[in-house]
Amino acid sequence: MKKTSLVAIPLVLFSLLVIFLFKGLFSDPRELDSQVKDKTLPTFSLPDLMQPDVTYTPEDLKGQVTILNVWGVWCVTCAVEMPYLTQLKNEQDVHIVGLYFDQDLDPDFGTKTLSRVQQEVTEMLSRYGNPYAYNIFDVYRDTSLDLGVTGAPEHFVIDANGVIRMHHIGDINERVWNTKVGPLYNKLVAQAAKAQGADAHIEVNAVMSDDKSAQGGLQ
Amino acid sequence: MKLLPAVSYVPPQYTSVNRLKNGFGLLTLALSMVTLLWVITAFSAHAAQDKFSFESPEQRESFLRLTAELRCPMCQNQNIADSDAMIAHDMRRKVYSLLKQGKTEQEVIAFMKSRYGDFVHYQPPVTAATLWLWAGPVLFIFIALIVVVRRKSVTPPEDMAAKLAKADEMLEREKE
Repeated sequence: MKKTSLVAIPLVLFSLLVIFLFKGLFSDPRELDSQVKDKTLPTFSLPDLMQPDVTYTPEDLKGQVTILNVWGVWCVTCAVEMPYLTQLKNEQDVHIVGLYFDQDLDPDFGTKTLSRVQQEVTEMLSRYGNPYAYNIFDVYRDTSLDLGVTGAPEHFVIDANGVIRMHHIGDINERVWNTKVGPLYNKLVAQAAKAQGADAHIEVNAVMSDDKSAQGGLQ
Repeated sequence: MKLLPAVSYVPPQYTSVNRLKNGFGLLTLALSMVTLLWVITAFSAHAAQDKFSFESPEQRESFLRLTAELRCPMCQNQNIADSDAMIAHDMRRKVYSLLKQGKTEQEVIAFMKSRYGDFVHYQPPVTAATLWLWAGPVLFIFIALIVVVRRKSVTPPEDMAAKLAKADEMLEREKE
């Protein structure tokens, strides 16, 4: 009896340690539990990257499911994912908005002019494709800080009510889209359509009855 | 054709050894070294100051303490004072501006935690998951103590005299 416990206790402890360390092998140390998930967007008022006289607020992101993509021309992974994002936009009509911030643009020194940034952005988008409906320019990187952004690329899936439903750190490729981001996006789009459908219910009915009568007419 | 060795010729009067030979050269050398040291220290002091200026020494202390205590979310295991990542720059700037607004240290920490989670602060709060960091060692010592005490009482006292006699006997046998 005593002998078995003498063997069993270290064995159990050892296997617990092994399980703990084994799990550690596959955990991503950069994965943080996002603090903004299921919260509304932090308030901001930021200019459009290409037309600085246009200003965006969180209100502009309501009414449509959006993927907010944090990026910059200096970010290599962003360039890698850009063709795929463009494909998503073209083939599945995914609504992607860019939150652009510049690394070299030190707000305290103002080393880089806006036109220079715009030129670089235009160059990059013409090379890899433009997935963005528009780009919000996070001049002082304050909004990125409020969103808990640690680098680029990062993505926020925002539902039609302006609530952040997912914070994805890293790029979106085919695998990530099919397993993680895509399902949620499509679900949210369906929900939004249903909510809108409630308003447009009568209209849809009218169209359907029209359809039926047209079919009846054919027969 | 003769290959020339690649050695640059230095006239003897310009070598440092020659300069050292007369007192004047030694003095200039010492002076220039002092100047160099002064320049280096002046520069490093400037670098340490960064570009933040504070209203009071207390505010400066708070800033230094906070940047040492807050962890960079991008580069693991560096505080934002050490890190040169962009996010660390931005966080330093934010800490500075929050302190300038008159926020307390706790408020600044809460501000960062609300954005980056408990991860961002090097002092983890006591929660169900982190409780074991404190309870674990105490529990370990406690259990070990129990085991040690139990063992002592269970093991029968050894008959040292009998053992010694036996050893003596064996020694005797060896001798023969």
